[in-house]
Amino acid sequence: MPATGALKRVIAPLIDPVAFDFWAARVNPLLSWERPLARVVARQVTARDCVTLVLRPNRHVPPVQAGQHVPVTVEVDGVRLTRSYSPSHVRASHARRRGGRKDCLAITVKRIPGGRVSSHLCQEVRVGDVLELGEAFGAMTLRPDVPRWLYVAAGSGITPLMSLLRAQTAATAGVDVTLLYWARTRADLCFLDELRGLEKAAGSGQPGVRVHIILTREATLLPGEYSGRPSADLLAQLVPDLAERQVYACGTGGFVDSLRTLLADQVAGFEAEAFTLPERAAVVGAPVQVTLRRSGRVLDIPAGEALLPALEARGIHPKHGCRMGICNSCACDRISGTSENLNTGATQSEPGVVRICISAARSDMTLDL
Amino acid sequence: MTALPPAMPASVALKKPGRERLSREQVEQFGADLDALRERTLADIGEQDARYIKRIYAAVRYTGALGRGLLFFGIFPPAWLLGTLLLAISKILENMELGHNVMHGQYDWMNDPRFDGKTYEWDIVGTSDNWRKTHNYSHHTYTNIKGMDDDVGYGVLRLFPEQRWRPFFLGQPLYAVIFALLFQWGVAIQDIRLGRYFAGRMTGAELREEFRPTGRKMRRQLLKDYVFFPLLAGPFFLPVLLGNLVANGLRNLWTFMIIFCGHFTANVEVFPKSIIKNETRGQWYLRQLRGSSNLTGSKLLHIMSGNLSHQIEHHLFPDIPARRYAEMSKEVRAICRRYGIFYNTGSLVSQFGQVIWRILRYALPSKPVSLEGKALVAD
Ligand SMILES: Cc1cc2nc3c(=O)[nH]c(=O)nc-3n(C[C@H](O)[C@H](O)[C@H](O)COP(=O)(O)OP(=O)(O)OC[C@H]3O[C@@H](n4cnc5c(N)ncnc54)[C@H](O)[C@@H]3O)c2cc1C
Repeated sequence: MPATGALKRVIAPLIDPVAFDFWAARVNPLLSWERPLARVVARQVTARDCVTLVLRPNRHVPPVQAGQHVPVTVEVDGVRLTRSYSPSHVRASHARRRGGRKDCLAITVKRIPGGRVSSHLCQEVRVGDVLELGEAFGAMTLRPDVPRWLYVAAGSGITPLMSLLRAQTAATAGVDVTLLYWARTRADLCFLDELRGLEKAAGSGQPGVRVHIILTREATLLPGEYSGRPSADLLAQLVPDLAERQVYACGTGGFVDSLRTLLADQVAGFEAEAFTLPERAAVVGAPVQVTLRRSGRVLDIPAGEALLPALEARGIHPKHGCRMGICNSCACDRISGTSENLNTGATQSEPGVVRICISAARSDMTLDL
Repeated sequence: MTALPPAMPASVALKKPGRERLSREQVEQFGADLDALRERTLADIGEQDARYIKRIYAAVRYTGALGRGLLFFGIFPPAWLLGTLLLAISKILENMELGHNVMHGQYDWMNDPRFDGKTYEWDIVGTSDNWRKTHNYSHHTYTNIKGMDDDVGYGVLRLFPEQRWRPFFLGQPLYAVIFALLFQWGVAIQDIRLGRYFAGRMTGAELREEFRPTGRKMRRQLLKDYVFFPLLAGPFFLPVLLGNLVANGLRNLWTFMIIFCGHFTANVEVFPKSIIKNETRGQWYLRQLRGSSNLTGSKLLHIMSGNLSHQIEHHLFPDIPARRYAEMSKEVRAICRRYGIFYNTGSLVSQFGQVIWRILRYALPSKPVSLEGKALVAD
């Protein structure tokens, strides 16, 4: 057992957390001095190319609310990669158990062809494996003050909405939620039986949960299924009381954008979360915004210009050494954005270390400076 | 008609073989060949390198724990001896194959905070921050430039005829032994430049301020090896303390020997400051090559030296995982052969013998040699 509270504070100066974790992992892979880890306790195929992993977090995983997303870190080919996943199920419990909490989180991952993390999570990860988690983010959480909901999901965008629905229907009887769920084909739908179950549980004449399935690539539709992309007509047909509903929408950037255009001023409220960020590689010379996280400064710098001299020209003097990419003195964390290595021309969008003397911004970027 | 190599006119040929000056174009082509090797190697770096460095980390932990464990039974001489040796091995592995290489950013691509070059803290009295400055920056950028690379004699030794002789150097065989025994302390204070204080260019307060992080690190290391672990052993306080002292000393001697073999063998050169004026990438590569020397030996030697037995490859490619150097050295040698460039390598005995010879020889006065006008390319 890792030390708790006061004892931990007392012995902390004596502890090398990395060494502690090295030995602790030999006893129980979930034990760690401070890293938030979770063990995969179950794995189910939820739909085509879609896998649900049930996770048991250790005591360092900060609490997660339904509707939020958590950074998940895995090692793929020796490189640690982090992606956000919205748990499709959050079950909190404050009772402690050996080496972890009783909470359960489930993430549902859709495999993207060529996607490094999603392929790893869907194909390589097995029960017993340990993943590293981070702090949960996201404001699309439960709001008891809202009486009527419209949830709109596309593909794996169903996940945060599913955890919200599960939490809502478990807690109260009289929920009023309409879910529009877009997918390519029937085989791509997750949680369909459970959703139909929730729908039936409400009984006729009650508000309850109403689910509309819209399939864009299915040849023949069954009763209760629709087809087509989001349109004003379809929305009005499926949700007659649009104006009274608060919308949570989730899917790819393009999907969310088109819904925003269609719905934002037709409904009681509109919030959305995009699962893919739009592609943003700026052409050389175009201005990009470089944010320095620690000093809080934001600068316009031409894309393709070496960062160190560009920052210096703007009166900022980061630590540096050789100015030719060998001494690593100017290495700093690129928190977000795409950088180009000016020696090799290679671009890199994965958060990680960047040597600013030989790197240029090729998109808006945040540096840990 | 016999084709002469294009840019090696007899008039500029120097005495030593492989020291003929190349033309500008040749030097750039040489650099491009090394760049190509660099790109090829980088493209292949991945899972196996990650697995390797984690294994090294595990080896550091296991040898360290086993060594310290055995030292608790240190009143039995075999346990003391084995414990001390294992602890020394653990410290050597940690300092060289793990710490030194990680701090060069060789494993930054893993994105793993455990192997992050800019935050790694190693198991010696010097701080990693000072090391990153004196070593990664000064030494690796200005390799063997007299007056810019502090590693040229570390301010206490005269190893090249190009350094001016002073009577002080008569005692350097003795200084060298002390320096070797206390190598980690030398590394620790290298960046503090006490010289500036003694020359009156720095106040006592400034010195104390500059020394603070190093002092903190020294205290932590001393407490760990000479108070905490000995106290844990209770009645066996003394054998543990002694074992730790000897382990630290063995590590000092070993690292001193490896590092001196990398830059102070007979055929290594020093350069004037003027050499970096408009220095091209090819010229930088060539200077690194001519200022470094390798050790031949077993795989064990390479691992225990943190692959600094491939000092040449390390200086050409300081940010490539060091376990790749052995493989790369074959190609570097072939490239050197192509351009008729001397590739300095030899056994530990022969190379260290040359280092000792330098230490002894240049303790004595010698005919001054000027670096003025020394260049790597023929114009
Ligand atoms: C807030 C948030 C919550 C998320 N929640 C979930 C979730 O619950 N379940 C889930 O499966 N995913 C979720 N994602 C997406 C997830 O974080 C990854 O982006 C996704 O798994 C792809 O990562 P990868 O490493 O496999 O692909 P990469 O190797 O990063 O990308 C490979 C290629 O695929 C493209 N690509 C990336 N994501 C998508 C996508 N979604 N659709 C189409 N092309 C894509 C990339 O542009 C790239 O060209 C969420 C994303 C965000 C921002």
